[in-house]
Formats: sequence, structure tokens, C-alpha cells
Amino acid sequence: MVFRSMQTAAMALLGIVGFTAPPTVAQQPATGTKVVQFMGLEGVKAKSTGRLTLEGGNLQFTSSNAKANVPLHLIVDVVTGNDSQRVFRGTIGTLTMFAPYGGGRFLSLFRSKVDTLSIQYRDAEGGLHGAIFTMATGKADALKKEMVAQGAHTSIPIQDDAGSSDAKPAAAKEKKP
Amino acid sequence: MKRVLYTMAISFLLLGAQIKLAELRAQSAPTPAMKASAIQVLMIQSDEIKLPADFQISLYENLIQQLQKQGGFQHVYREGDHNAAGVTDLVVLHSTVRGFKKGSEMARNVTTVAGKTSIDVHCQFTDKDGKTVLERDLNGKVRFLGGNLRATLDFAKKAAKLSHDNFAARPVS
Repeated sequence: MVFRSMQTAAMALLGIVGFTAPPTVAQQPATGTKVVQFMGLEGVKAKSTGRLTLEGGNLQFTSSNAKANVPLHLIVDVVTGNDSQRVFRGTIGTLTMFAPYGGGRFLSLFRSKVDTLSIQYRDAEGGLHGAIFTMATGKADALKKEMVAQGAHTSIPIQDDAGSSDAKPAAAKEKKP
Repeated sequence: MKRVLYTMAISFLLLGAQIKLAELRAQSAPTPAMKASAIQVLMIQSDEIKLPADFQISLYENLIQQLQKQGGFQHVYREGDHNAAGVTDLVVLHSTVRGFKKGSEMARNVTTVAGKTSIDVHCQFTDKDGKTVLERDLNGKVRFLGGNLRATLDFAKKAAKLSHDNFAARPVS
């Protein structure tokens, strides 16, 4: 009787461990920078999450259902900045506005900082496009440096851009009340 | 004596109001502008005002999106598009930022009344030869819901409507 219950417990434990164990073989290590394509990239839905990589002289955005390539030599401007966004956003964020006793207002105090990367590029017809990406803090400058090294152009040199919050007071950080 | 003064004051007020109304009517009346089959949107300029790059791009992209959404033009060309060179009845939209106040989404959410973001843009429509055909000041703002960049969408909607009302050759289907 005791043996049977121990056996059942052991199987249940194995089941739990097997379910929660991290996959080792099947999953490849993800490369690139995790970003949110806020808007502007041709053929990609706005606010879609994906990865930004630099491959073969191209800036490549890959998400679960879209892929876009921008040749780095066609990028005429790369500018970084920083901003903040609500932790609870989207549909859930809107629904929290209806929470009783000012709960929505309280939740809107929780914000996370993000870096922004804005690019301007030309298409095959010469038309000017713009795209905005948001990513975790500290990633945008490194990505910009890499892009410029591989042929992208920028109107703000990298050392200046790093302190762009001082150069453009309105541009960089959102003012806290 | 008092009654006469009151009457005069009221008459002056009414006259002033009437003049202002006439001015507003003249401003809002659709000017006979040219009809164009295509429009070209140039990148938003902000020489006097320090505008963040993401706002500049958002204004430009939203403007193009809204013009395409509104319909009325066969083509909406971007700045630098070679195909625009061959279009005879082309109207070009130049936009210059004249005022910008970056508010705070958090302040809007918490207080409801503070933290407004607003952008004032001067829109100039020219024909292919660079002759001005229409000039208007528009603004975009976000008061309650949404991030700061939502102000650019508000402006884009107004600019697209203005373009459509004055230059669109085809009615919206």
C-alpha cells in the first residue's frame, strides 16, 4: 500500500519535473536583439514583436509571421532615444482604467524604460521610409554602432547620440510629473 | 445714461462677434484649389523646433497611411520617389513643425487633466512647379488615452482630410 502510494508520488513528481524542465536540444539559441516594431517597416504589422539582426549587409527584422530586410547602405539616418511605457498596456491596460477605487490610475504608475531606434531608409524607387523600434534599455546604442560600422548613415554621431537626452531635452526622456 | 452705455457696449460686442464669425467662415470655406490625381508627401521639417526623431518619423508615416486610407488620390508618393516625376497634376505637401509640447502619458492617466501632448504643424501644398496652392496650420494632440505618439495620428487624420477635401480628384468610395 505504502509502496503503491510512493510509486504514484514519484511518477507525479517526474511528470512535473519533465513538464517544467527547460528544453535543451530542440530550441536553438535566439540571435539578434528582441524588439517591437512600432511602425513603418514595409510588410510588417505595427507593434509586432520580433528580432533585429544584421546579416550580410542587411538589417533584418524577423517575427513569427513576417520578415523584412533593409539594406544597410540604404539607411540614411539612424537615431536612438529613450522613452517609457506602461507595464500594463494594450487591451489589459485599457481595461484597468475601469478598475474601482482608482486602481487603474495606480497601475498606470508602473512604467518600464525602453530604448527607441528610429531609422530612415530609401526603397528601390528612391522613396523615403521611416521605421521605429523599441527595445530594452541599453541595446539601441550598441545596435546603432554596429549598423553604422556596417554602412548605415547617421545625422548624429554616436558619441553625441549617447548623450542625446541632454542635447534634446524634449526629445529623450518623458517628463515625470 | 446707464442704459445707453449698456446698449452701446452690447452693440459693440455683437459687432465684434459678427466680424469674428465672418472671418472664421471665410477661413473654413473651401478655397477653389486644384484637383490632383497624386500627392507627394515630403519628410516633416523641424528646423526651429527640436523634434524627437521618432515623432518626425511617426508624423510622416501616419500621414502617408492616412492619405492612403482616405482615398481620393490614385497615388500617394513618398519623398524622393522617382515615379512622381512623371505625374503632371501632382500636389506636394510640405510640413513644418512650428510648436511641440511633449506631455506625459503617466500624468494623463493619473490626473486626467494634465500631461497633454501637442504638435503644431504648418502645412503648405504646392503644385509641381513649387507654386503654393494652399497653406494651413494644423495641430495634433493627445489628451486622455494613448501614448505621446498618438498626437501624430491625430495630426495625420486632419491633414489627410484637408488634402482630400481640397485636392482629391476622386470621391471616396
